[in-house]
Amino acid sequence: HFVQCLSDPVSRPRPKRLHLIGPSPRAMAKDPLADANLYFDELGKLRVLEPEVSHSTTELKEECKDFVDKIAQFQKMVGGLIDLVGELAKETETEKLKAIGARNLLKSVAKQREAQQQQLQALITEKKMQLERSRVEYEALSKVESEQNEFIDQFILQK
Amino acid sequence: MRLKTSLLKEPKHILLLLNKLVSCVGWTSSDELYSCSEDHQILKWNLLTSETSLVAKLPDDFYPIELHWFPKTLGSKKQNQADIFVLTSTDGKFHLVSKNGLIEKSVDAHNGAVLAGRWNYDGSALITAGEDGQIKIWSKSGMLRSTLASQGSPVYSVSWGPDSDRILYTSGRQLVIKPLQPSAKIIQWKAHDGLILKVDWNSVNDLIISGGEDCKYKVWDSFGRLLYTSSSHDYPVTSLSWAPDGEVFAMGSYNTLRLCDKTGWSYAMEKPNTGSVFSLAWSADGTQLAGSCGNGHVIFAHIVEQHWEWKNFVITLTKRRTMQVLNVIDEAVDVLEFRDRVIKASLAFGHLVVATSLQCYVYSSKNWNTPLIFDLKEGTVSLIVQAEKHFLLVDGAGLYIFSYEGQFICSPKFPGMRADILNAQGISLSNDTVALRDKSDEKVVYLFDALTGKAFGDGKPLTHKMEVVDVALDQCGPLNERKIALIDKNRDLYLTSVHRQQPKISKIGSMVHCMQWNDCANILCGIQDNQFTVWYYPSVVFVDKELLPHTLYVKDGSEFARTSHILSYVDTKVTLRQGDGSLIYSTVPSYPAILHNYSSSARWEDALHLCRFAKDQSLWACLAGMTMASKELTIAEMAYAAIGELPRVQYIHFIKEQASKESSLAHMLLFTGQVQEAEAVLLQTGLIYQAIQINIDLFNWERALELAVKHKTHVDTVLAFREKFLQKFGRKESNKRFLQYAEGVEVDWEKIQVKIEMELSKERERAANASVRGSIASRR
Repeated sequence: HFVQCLSDPVSRPRPKRLHLIGPSPRAMAKDPLADANLYFDELGKLRVLEPEVSHSTTELKEECKDFVDKIAQFQKMVGGLIDLVGELAKETETEKLKAIGARNLLKSVAKQREAQQQQLQALITEKKMQLERSRVEYEALSKVESEQNEFIDQFILQK
Repeated sequence: MRLKTSLLKEPKHILLLLNKLVSCVGWTSSDELYSCSEDHQILKWNLLTSETSLVAKLPDDFYPIELHWFPKTLGSKKQNQADIFVLTSTDGKFHLVSKNGLIEKSVDAHNGAVLAGRWNYDGSALITAGEDGQIKIWSKSGMLRSTLASQGSPVYSVSWGPDSDRILYTSGRQLVIKPLQPSAKIIQWKAHDGLILKVDWNSVNDLIISGGEDCKYKVWDSFGRLLYTSSSHDYPVTSLSWAPDGEVFAMGSYNTLRLCDKTGWSYAMEKPNTGSVFSLAWSADGTQLAGSCGNGHVIFAHIVEQHWEWKNFVITLTKRRTMQVLNVIDEAVDVLEFRDRVIKASLAFGHLVVATSLQCYVYSSKNWNTPLIFDLKEGTVSLIVQAEKHFLLVDGAGLYIFSYEGQFICSPKFPGMRADILNAQGISLSNDTVALRDKSDEKVVYLFDALTGKAFGDGKPLTHKMEVVDVALDQCGPLNERKIALIDKNRDLYLTSVHRQQPKISKIGSMVHCMQWNDCANILCGIQDNQFTVWYYPSVVFVDKELLPHTLYVKDGSEFARTSHILSYVDTKVTLRQGDGSLIYSTVPSYPAILHNYSSSARWEDALHLCRFAKDQSLWACLAGMTMASKELTIAEMAYAAIGELPRVQYIHFIKEQASKESSLAHMLLFTGQVQEAEAVLLQTGLIYQAIQINIDLFNWERALELAVKHKTHVDTVLAFREKFLQKFGRKESNKRFLQYAEGVEVDWEKIQVKIEMELSKERERAANASVRGSIASRR
């Protein structure tokens, strides 16, 4: 048990205890066993450690174990939380990028439309010119038609 | 007419960065194109198989700017084709590259980039222009000949003049024409409001196009006169290129491709997704257009929806190899299919002639199903001219006349002829004659027999006193009455006969901008000083000059502006193209054509009837001219009476009363102003007195006296008339010869009268004898 105590990392505060134990030989000077730093426990077994101390040590050990467990659990929980937040951040980031892209696209669509409009406008101007040409041609032909009709009328009248 | 464009979905040039562009393109044949881009590659595009292959990979620091193929040598020297091209680059070098992509020679030419490099038309010289503002001329092998010009600003574009004796280059906002001879005059003018990026000069029509950062393109003549300005585009004009035949040109800008007529107006515009079109190139036959685009594409285009019209037929080029014939009378549609691309076509005189790259198709308008097909030697027909009986093809090597049955007739030639730059203005064809204007000396017009290909007469060409701009032969009538009309540089219109030893040339109009003969009668129409004018009977100028203004038909109107051009004159319909490209039509009364018809078949009674029916002064004037030309005096007298030309009526009357045939013939010659011929006729038949008398009548005293002395007769008559004339004007004799003869000769009016009477009666007797003899001969 002693060895266990020594080897137990929880029993590290032992020197402190020993220091506390230090003045006890003066208080219990009557007990020679106590002088020799030897004690009996309730079961009558020989102990190097005071039973009370041993008891508190065990208790401390238990508590420490609990504490360690709790800390581990806490760590696990926090880890999960961090992961979750990280994922969330990533998602946010992608969404943000998407939004920026969409916004840019929107801007460029407006520009594209403008360019398209310009192109169409140019084509319309071109068509208008063609229309004008056709109109002039039509007018010329109408004039020819009326001249021909006039000629025919005249011809018939003279006959 | 519009451009049909095609773009591949993916650019073939590998563009690692977005700002890489295809910088230059050039055709080797009409189906093979080389392109060069900033990805350091030379690609070859085969249009028949639509394959693209890598020719060569250039060094990584090589950025090409311009590519120009060595010109194909023409005609006989076919085997001497050097398949190389010049490639200029940004590092101040130009490279001669062979067809397989091997750089044969690299020459350090300029500081900074070499912005342009062009071969001249026969390939004997190369010109380069650089960012350093210098223009250098190099030999075929790349040896420096001279530095032609040097200026402070970069020369963006350079072009050769038609005869390769001048160059045109840009200088900031100015254009400069510089002859190669150092002493000759430089023409320089401000052309644009922005930097000029591109110029091109066509060898066939001698017109210049320029475009620049002011977003406009302009058309100039070779004297720097502005002919057309386009409206402002949205983006700078980055490329311009003439089609080889000079009928159209293409313009490229950002996302824009335009097809324009040579007068500047635009046939069509395309808005392909190309980025800026940096260079444009036409294939040698003028059917294909390629452009290098800013986004790494190479755009291809060809012309479709070209129209031809003749009478009731409208023919449309629907696809590259397909034509549609529409007969507007019965709405019948025929589709004509060809094996190869259509290069040129012409529709007139009831025949459609189509030249493809290998064959020529001749269709008759009566039958669209069975064309006549014959093979062509050279693929690039640049011009088709038709006449009623045959047609003429012009290709790079020469010109050939074929009958509509597909038979080769002849191939007229003259020394120094360059068939590749013949255009429709310098060539004219009629049923028996071909007229060609010499390009090196534009005053000279060669006339050939269309059936033998030989020059007419003694082979001497017709030489005008001014540069001739336009020639046109009349289409009807017999060979010996063939007339040629020509417009010279001063815009004067002249008419002369093709067959005469000493061609008499008469001016029949001024400020004439274009002209066209009718296809079925010898009627000429033209635009004279913003008026549409028809010369009903132009030959009247040889018969009675003063009658000419009476035979004109003039139409006024804003549509007949100077910029208008007559396309055709078929029957009574004249088709004109206005400056803005619109077609307009006009009709000419049909009576003159009918009158011409009657005149050629000598149906004078019908002609008279027609004139009475139409009640038109100009028609009567035509009739007067025609009848005088064919010596129908009775009808001529009536015609002159109808237009109120009484002195002429009297004179005709006088001619009719002449004692003998010879006399009346002589007086008719006098009527048409041919004094010497008239005198010669009289002297030949021994009518000395009459010859003297006509000289007296013309106050041609010296000649009269000379004749009298020479023939030792009627000297006293001449002296008597002279004296009378001087008395009338109250003047003294001052002529030494007359004074000399007056001393020895006594003037007795009575004796003279008797002598004259005697001469006249002698003539009458002779005439009577002649007619008796004639009648006996005819009886025998």
